Amino acid sequence: MRELLAVDNVTAGYGAAVVLEDVTLSLAEGDSLALLGRNGVGKTTLLVTLMGLTRLHRGSLQFAGANLAALSTYARARAGIGWVPQERYMWPSLTIEEHLTSVARPGRWTLAKIYEIFPRLEERRGNFGNQLSGGEQQMLAIARALVVNPRLLLLDEPMEGLAPIIVQDLMKVIRGLVAEGGMAMVIVEQHAKLALSLTRNAIVLDRGRIVHRSPSEALLEDPQTLHRLVAVA
Amino acid sequence: MIANVIGVLFDGVAYGSLLFIIAVGLAVTLGLMNFVNLAHGVFAMVGGYVCVVLMTRAGVPFLATLPVAFVAAAIVGLVLERTLYQHLYRASPLDQVLFTIGVVYMSIAGATYVFGSSQQPVFLPSYLRGQVHVLGVDLGVYRLFLVAVVALLTYALHLLLERTRFGSQVRASVDNPVAAAGLGINVNRVFALTFALGSGLAGLGGGLGIDVLGLDPTFPLKYMVYFLLVVAVGGSGTIKGPLVAAVILGVFDVSGKYFVPQIGGFVIYALMVLLLIVFPAGLYGRRT
Ligand SMILES: Nc1ncnc2c1ncn2[C@@H]1O[C@H](COP(=O)(O)OP(=O)(O)OP(=O)(O)O)[C@@H](O)[C@H]1O
Ligand SMILES: [Mg+2]
Repeated sequence: MRELLAVDNVTAGYGAAVVLEDVTLSLAEGDSLALLGRNGVGKTTLLVTLMGLTRLHRGSLQFAGANLAALSTYARARAGIGWVPQERYMWPSLTIEEHLTSVARPGRWTLAKIYEIFPRLEERRGNFGNQLSGGEQQMLAIARALVVNPRLLLLDEPMEGLAPIIVQDLMKVIRGLVAEGGMAMVIVEQHAKLALSLTRNAIVLDRGRIVHRSPSEALLEDPQTLHRLVAVA
Repeated sequence: MIANVIGVLFDGVAYGSLLFIIAVGLAVTLGLMNFVNLAHGVFAMVGGYVCVVLMTRAGVPFLATLPVAFVAAAIVGLVLERTLYQHLYRASPLDQVLFTIGVVYMSIAGATYVFGSSQQPVFLPSYLRGQVHVLGVDLGVYRLFLVAVVALLTYALHLLLERTRFGSQVRASVDNPVAAAGLGINVNRVFALTFALGSGLAGLGGGLGIDVLGLDPTFPLKYMVYFLLVVAVGGSGTIKGPLVAAVILGVFDVSGKYFVPQIGGFVIYALMVLLLIVFPAGLYGRRT
């Protein structure tokens, strides 16, 4: 598989404060990665560093052979990174449909295809971003990233705060996206087992550093190590 | 008496329409982008002088000068935004006030140097002059024309903001610029174009308004508070707020000055205080 994303020796943070230290990872086209770790270890910071929303102190970021660090945030999205932020960031004054049409770029993810996997969004297409339940917001956040037609999808805790029944629905959708291939994916998740069951490889962060890497399956079959790495003390 | 009241009301609506078309751009920059631009009236003045110069020096007919006023003010707005204003978006409100008030005084001095301090004439075509007699009331043809033009522009603006991809990108960028950029919207470009559009409309309003508001170098200062009021009272949720606020302000200002001239501007400021107490977020707040 061809390399899509290469993060090399990255040290980054907010202003002068350093959060990530010396992070190195790579991801191939169509590959999937679980990004695990306890609260506040820097998982979100790693994703928003890819989006250009932090200060990169050291290291390099390559995406599809181009220097990602030289691009501004909107250009990174256009280069092919779909971002599903942890905060979801709905736009209150846009309807569901406008959330999609305002950012859509040509590709296989069209409005029709989105409505196929998220019928709920079609039913509520005229509702505004501030009139949605948590589950609808999360579906829309994922749908909005998909219509950008990315080569890499960044999912930041997509299951957070959702009812179990909705988690099941979303799992099915995300599993479908992974199975289809064609799009690489990084999933940050508190429910480590969910994330591991969805992905091929895993890394674990602790206080801004990578402390573990392995195939997801291996970690899933080693509950003791998993517990030591991510369980809340 | 009744005819008098209707006539004054009508003048107030026409006046309010002008305030709206000039101030609507400010509703976006001040109300939505949180940029305190006291110099917004400068764009209107630019439009006004462009019309006057084209009419008096080049003999261009009045109506033909208006699109030029729009384009000229839009370009001035765009250049100012790209070179100066964009560096101030994250500055404190006080810095923004000081900076933009500086722009106001520089423009006053500049306009005085180039055009002198006198009121500028406007040459309306004959078909826009005089009165029409409607249901026993004399209405100024030019004021009717103003109301019609502003109604059309408002409708077009509404369509642009609510029905186009660009419009939804503007709203997304205002609602949450980080998310907008993170999903591929070039937020700086969207803001720059919005700023240019608002400046252009102000320029158009400045040209349209020479006959009603007058035009001299103190224009940006004289009407500054009115433009700010339209935004503060109207709120910045939609263009409806500033529109309603502008018409209310126009009607009360004109009737105040007509019926109780001895207290002059008191009426409009009392009204403003009242409205802001009752609607602290403006008549129409924005969705959150
Ligand atoms: N905007 C910010 N400015 C300054 N510091 C921040 C900012 N966002 C996060 N931090 C700090 O960076 C560190 C890592 O935060 P981050 O959000 O990346 O953790 P996380 O692993 O995503 O946690 P969670 O599981 O709670 O989402 C924390 O100490 C946090 O306080
Ligand atoms: Mg996080």
